[in-house]
Amino acid sequence: MLDIQQVSFAYPGHAPALKEVSLTVAAGDFIGLAGRNGSGKTTLTRLMVGLAKPVSGQVLLDGQNTIQCGPATMARAIGYVFQNPDRQIFRDTVAQEVAFGPEQMEWSDSERAEAVAAALNMTGLESVAAAYPRGLTRSFRQRVAIASALALKPRLLILDEPTSGQDAEEKAQLMNLLDQLNQQGIGVILVTHDMELLLAHSRRAVVLHQGEKVFDGPTEELFAAAAATQVTEWGLRVPDVAAVAGKLEKPLGAVRSVEELADRIEGQLRGDEREKSGAPV
Amino acid sequence: MQAIQFEDFSYHYPKTGTGLDRVSLAIPYGSFTVLTGANGGGKTTLCLAMTGLVPHFFGGSLSGQVLVDGQSTAGRSVAETAGGVGIVMEDYESQLVSLTVFEEIAFALENQALPAALIKERVSEALAAVGLDGLAQRELSALSGGQKQRLAVASVIASQPKILVLDEPASALDPEGAEELYALLAKLNREQGITVIVADHDLARAMPYADTVVVMEQGRVALQGTPTDVFAKMLSGQIYAAAVPALRRLKGRLEREHQALSDWLTADAAASEINALLSPQRRLSLSA
Repeated sequence: MLDIQQVSFAYPGHAPALKEVSLTVAAGDFIGLAGRNGSGKTTLTRLMVGLAKPVSGQVLLDGQNTIQCGPATMARAIGYVFQNPDRQIFRDTVAQEVAFGPEQMEWSDSERAEAVAAALNMTGLESVAAAYPRGLTRSFRQRVAIASALALKPRLLILDEPTSGQDAEEKAQLMNLLDQLNQQGIGVILVTHDMELLLAHSRRAVVLHQGEKVFDGPTEELFAAAAATQVTEWGLRVPDVAAVAGKLEKPLGAVRSVEELADRIEGQLRGDEREKSGAPV
Repeated sequence: MQAIQFEDFSYHYPKTGTGLDRVSLAIPYGSFTVLTGANGGGKTTLCLAMTGLVPHFFGGSLSGQVLVDGQSTAGRSVAETAGGVGIVMEDYESQLVSLTVFEEIAFALENQALPAALIKERVSEALAAVGLDGLAQRELSALSGGQKQRLAVASVIASQPKILVLDEPASALDPEGAEELYALLAKLNREQGITVIVADHDLARAMPYADTVVVMEQGRVALQGTPTDVFAKMLSGQIYAAAVPALRRLKGRLEREHQALSDWLTADAAASEINALLSPQRRLSLSA
């Protein structure tokens, strides 16, 4: 749905932030976007939603140059969730906040009500619909920002470091929500420094290094033993789960989580015990 | 004498009434302590109480006491307490007050009336330590979030406090920056004997260095002890278990059905022990 072709970008008076980056985003993708601070991640996502215009190259949404798409078309196609949810929350109740986008679209009352109800439902916010959003915890405010984006029924959701400031359990709940949205067919681009989350949730990884795209492929390949030294050069970290799996003499295949790795190791050990006792494997 | 001692300390913020509930905690000099726990559990309040900002700045009611470097925080001003303990706050931008990087780090040193030459030396040392060399004349408005967070750390370490308190100091850093910061804290801890107290959710990066882990829950100390003991109890008691580092979660899982394993600090150590477990030689020796 989104086709980024040879895009370069520079902030005035600065070295190029992006150099000829090409990237195709298909409907329903789950992409983890990684790289050092300053590698161009946020700039790339801003170009995707039309918050910045490329110096050269072009971004196509369903084949149409995004420069020609109005903000309404962009906002309907792609939802953007800022790293700091407080930057996009300004109304008195959660429901009003979520209704802002649909109001701007001048949808009918019934369409608006339906869109808000659906967005609150998807994000588990029904119980706080009447609450003052700034009085909620950071984790809830993050959900409000996501619900506001979802109210326009976008096909793609871009989230910039959505787990920052969240504790381990809030993080797990948020990722669970993103998995669910993705299963419903919404594409997700997750900008993150958390390689454990990237490995566990994104099927595809894109890595930027000094403004260039240096990796684009299945996430487990990013952390495979052969790529591990490069990953370090790009300022990333191989998650411990992948590092352990990569160093086992008996290949257990790609694993995405502690549970998967433990299951495979236990499977091997059980197999061993059966062999020893002579029982059929 | 302890670096920090909470003696049956309870505290309630004036508005919300939440805070800390009968905290008793002793942090010895030279320790590297990690505070963790779900948001709202009291980590930040604990950090603020170590600097006297709780209660002096926030007001509220308290009982019990906090001793920092042997002195009760209640009986001293925040400035007096700050002579011995430096804090990098969760909202690090709120503690940056100057126009340029140099001025920011020099601020506290100038207030201590140090000679100009020494200030210059301390500023460049601190900048080098956090990887901001060459940026002394940069205006703060031109720094990224990660650079500002490093600057907050630099301005605190420049004062050479005996005790360093950092509340989520790597929240704006990329993985490499976070590892560098922890390596720096470990160096200050080991080479200069500085007591380091860090609040963080990411326990994996602290694991190689920490000697003590404290888990806060609803304003109380839920667990405290060595990382090995605390991680095991977090898993067995399901106390903020999601935050236990991957290697320890793996160990916990495998130990349910198999022998006791070592306390791996690295993926290499984990892999070599698991390799031995899975190796045909071991199977042969067992069946022999």
